Amino acid sequence: MPDELVTLTIDGVPVSVPKGTLVIEAAKQAGVLVPHYCYHPGLPVAGLCRMCLVDIEKAPKLQIACATQVAEGMVVRTQSPQAKSGRMGVLELLLINHPLDCPICDQAGECELQDFTFQEGRPATRYSPDYAKRFNPVEDFGPDVLYVPNRCILCTRCVRFMEDVAKEPVLNVSERGDRAYIGIHSEGRLDHPWAGNVVDLCPVGSLLSKDFLHKARAWELDKAASICTGCSQGCNVTLDTRENVVVRVRPRPNLEVNRYFICDHGRMNYRWMNRGDRIEAPLVRRGGGSELHATDWDEAFDVVASRLRGAGGKAVALVSPKASTEALYFARELFRGLEWSGAFQVVMGEEAPLAGVPNLALRAERAPNGRGAELLGYSRDYAAAVAAAETASVVLVLDEPDIAVRTAGALIYVGTVLPERARDAQAVLPIANVAEEEGTFVNRDGRVQRYFQAKSAPGMARPAWWVFSELVATLGGGGGGGGGGGGHVGTAAEAFDRLAASVEAFRGLSYPQLGFAGAAAPAVAVPA
Amino acid sequence: MGYPHKPHAKETVVLSKHFGDADARTYKGWVKRGGYEMLAQALTMEPARVIDIVKESGLRGRGGAGFPTGLKWSFMPKEKKKPHYLCVNADESEPGTFKDREIMRWTPHALLEGTAIAAHAIQAEVVYIYIRGEFTEPWAVMQRALAEATAAGVFGAIKLHLHRGAGAYICGEETALMNSIEGKRGNPRIKPPFPAAAGVFGMPTTINNVETLAAVPLILKKGAAWYKGLSLASPKSTGTKLFSVCGHVQKPGNYEVTMGFPLKDLLYDLCGGIPPGRTLKACIPGGSSVPILNREETESCLLDYEGVVEKGSMLGSGGVIVFDDSTDMVYQIMRLARFYAHESCAQCTQCREGTAWTTKILERILAGQGKTADLDLLLDLAENMTGKTICVLSDSCAAPVVSGIKKFKKEFEDYIAGRRKPVMVA
Amino acid sequence: MSVSTHPTPQPGTEEYSPVFAGKTLEQLSEILTRYPTKQAALLPALWLVQQARGWISDRNMAEVGEVLGLTAAYVKGVVTFYTMYHQHPVGRHFVQVCTTSPCNICGAEAVVKAFLDATGAKELGATSPDGKWTVIEVECLGACGFATPVLVNDDFLESVTPDKVPDLVKRYK
Repeated sequence: MPDELVTLTIDGVPVSVPKGTLVIEAAKQAGVLVPHYCYHPGLPVAGLCRMCLVDIEKAPKLQIACATQVAEGMVVRTQSPQAKSGRMGVLELLLINHPLDCPICDQAGECELQDFTFQEGRPATRYSPDYAKRFNPVEDFGPDVLYVPNRCILCTRCVRFMEDVAKEPVLNVSERGDRAYIGIHSEGRLDHPWAGNVVDLCPVGSLLSKDFLHKARAWELDKAASICTGCSQGCNVTLDTRENVVVRVRPRPNLEVNRYFICDHGRMNYRWMNRGDRIEAPLVRRGGGSELHATDWDEAFDVVASRLRGAGGKAVALVSPKASTEALYFARELFRGLEWSGAFQVVMGEEAPLAGVPNLALRAERAPNGRGAELLGYSRDYAAAVAAAETASVVLVLDEPDIAVRTAGALIYVGTVLPERARDAQAVLPIANVAEEEGTFVNRDGRVQRYFQAKSAPGMARPAWWVFSELVATLGGGGGGGGGGGGHVGTAAEAFDRLAASVEAFRGLSYPQLGFAGAAAPAVAVPA
Repeated sequence: MGYPHKPHAKETVVLSKHFGDADARTYKGWVKRGGYEMLAQALTMEPARVIDIVKESGLRGRGGAGFPTGLKWSFMPKEKKKPHYLCVNADESEPGTFKDREIMRWTPHALLEGTAIAAHAIQAEVVYIYIRGEFTEPWAVMQRALAEATAAGVFGAIKLHLHRGAGAYICGEETALMNSIEGKRGNPRIKPPFPAAAGVFGMPTTINNVETLAAVPLILKKGAAWYKGLSLASPKSTGTKLFSVCGHVQKPGNYEVTMGFPLKDLLYDLCGGIPPGRTLKACIPGGSSVPILNREETESCLLDYEGVVEKGSMLGSGGVIVFDDSTDMVYQIMRLARFYAHESCAQCTQCREGTAWTTKILERILAGQGKTADLDLLLDLAENMTGKTICVLSDSCAAPVVSGIKKFKKEFEDYIAGRRKPVMVA
Repeated sequence: MSVSTHPTPQPGTEEYSPVFAGKTLEQLSEILTRYPTKQAALLPALWLVQQARGWISDRNMAEVGEVLGLTAAYVKGVVTFYTMYHQHPVGRHFVQVCTTSPCNICGAEAVVKAFLDATGAKELGATSPDGKWTVIEVECLGACGFATPVLVNDDFLESVTPDKVPDLVKRYK
């Protein structure tokens, strides 16, 4: 049964929204962003910052948009003189005790106090320089969070997040009046696995990440949409890079997966993306030589193709569950016609749910694409695959640095870094990591989600899907009619199209359709 | 009566009949004086009937808002699907007001009886009587009285509990009071939802002031018409009111007069006037949160809800603060602003920052460092602090500032111009 | 920048003696029956702690939290809101003098000064050298017609004037 719709006018724009919608949300549909601080769609309504004051016809006083439900025929004016004056008043009062820290504050450039003050605040202060501003020393709340009380505007988003979303009320509001600040008990620490979200939620530079402290200016950052690789939950993230280095990971809203949050494990899980010890050129063994020589892609493909061409018997693929779905698909296509077995192993850890959100947790399976690998026919029985590898004619290892495999056949290593054992390989092919390519992962619930390139890959490293699809093309298109039919694959989107056309689980999906929010793979059962 | 003084002939002694009578506050003593008869009767009546009688009487909330009591009770669900609660607001903290403490320490059983009748009317099985932490004597008296009356079985199935506050004026705000009972910081809640729909513990709740409830047994006994008949001016204001008169009068105390009584008579007759050699300068008629009246307005003001509004102020809690001509109005307004700054719960930006900034500006003016622009700034701040917050503490700080600057502007200007010796505030 | 840290908690070196044991625990148990939630017993529980120990320490707050199923931080947020709860030890006799406007215009500030002098506390909020007295100014005590009202511990004294203060102070040992 569809929600009953209510029609109202906001700044002259008519909108129709479901009954029960808050005015502040309805305004977004009218293209109007009502300034606000304490309100957040992922938190219970507090209505205390008073920033979102708007003029509602027939109401005798200004109303807060975050706590007012729409009504049929309601006329909302956000730009009336009273509304603007009311909001200007709030901004002025927020700034009287706020230090002029912008030059040294991490939040500058992405600060909502700066933004709204610039938009509708006073140009100059009326707070006499004779008055002292409230002063409290900076506090270390725990593993990653610093609290700068002087900058706090007491919006209480952090308190409400810990109480209502994390369900662990370790932050409080202490004292009363203008002496109030965010407090933590002396025996307490902010070490909840999801605590880092308070830093994102803080509209100003009061709660700061120690990891990001003074690392970069907000306006120096480039942003790319990505998917966290920390576990199989598939939280949507934004990778912030500065001069080709990933410096920060932040959550990207996705109501179906992680709402507005990511866990601290995923948040801190990015340094590996910047590793300098990367394989930067294809390496091949020439003839029966004992050493690997750096070369170009043409020779590398020739060498590998020659090993694969005419190889009978078994082929074993040991793959990383961090590899993209496209890469895994083409890695399998490579061995069409051979007796093939592929497997992956996943590091396991402790699960850490975000109690206030259904179906959201740091998952025990610490890899982003185990499900994708499964859907493409890879098995979890890694030990069996390792055993089979001993008598295989070709063993492909895809970005698994932990190679404990012996084989009589040809070892092909495709990866980002060069483990010691890979020196036994016939060829080593350098690939991009998740930050350096486009691709998809399938999370534990069968949701296919795209990630985008955030920085350039080092040296001659290329996306793994490209490496494998080029090999397939070099070998003459592989077998089977539906398998892409040979020919070079130019883009990741095309790679995905080939995959979707050939694998039932992905039928009907495409990059434009997946967009930034992803989509459930059709007819995939959600694991219990 | 003007306890601790003897009743004045012009008083209408109803609630205050037994003030000062130690025997009246014992259970036996109260029963001897006709107590608990009306409760026994009320418990046999239909709740709706009790509500109708109180509605008919015109009784209005005596805590400050003046909301019609019977109407408030009628907001509770008629059909009982969830537990109903009654909360008694004995958090009396409005500067100038000291009537509820007298009711509690002299006629605790009047309060308990009225409370139980109200609980019956709104179908509440549980009552919390929220007494401010500083009221140690009323607390002890109420504890004893409650124990005696409970032992005598007069309350039937209704359970009454005392709940002690711990130092927060804001807990006198009805939704903050509910939060405080629930074991939280005394933060007012945004409305809707309203208490009758979702109040304490999320259940339908009514909150009433002590003085309001103390009148209920008498209304039932003598009838709504009797109470309604007690009205000297506006028919919308009925019954009697305890006016707590304090400050510069000869005989401060609680005086009970009929609604519509002239403020002039209260001050000059009943209270014995201003101390000798001094004249009336200003008066706050309803507790510090209402606008200040100047002398002319005070002397022509009738004490009922409509009469005080006509003079540009409000009846409020009826806490009458009298300032004679020795008063430094700027200093006292600063002291009031400091009160509000101390009591702000810190939720709303305008209140949290505005009350403190207002205080600072006034302190600076007193210290001889004020500027003319400061007065406009104070008025602008007051505008921002009015009508834009979750509760009216912020508006309450603005009221004395706005009315003070308007009516006593010269005193401010004297400090600013250096015509008056600066006062260094601690 | 200077940073104050919250170190990883070490096991306490002193034995902590719980407040909620024996009679106090019985009292709390009775109080709990009055409310549908444990949390609602928080203010009464904090009063019990203050009555037993004279003030409420961080460790006490943690104990109250354990007993009522609340976090220590939550309890602390409530304690710091209500001004009557002491978060550090105070003198044996705790004096609260009202100085809000109605009492202010009746000489309340002189009463405060008289107490500071007579008790030796000298400064507001400080404890006198002999540990007997702490004097503070408070907001309206709700006895404006009996200016100046003064609370000495739980004794609510009315109509206090500066000349009465020295004798008053002598009465308290």
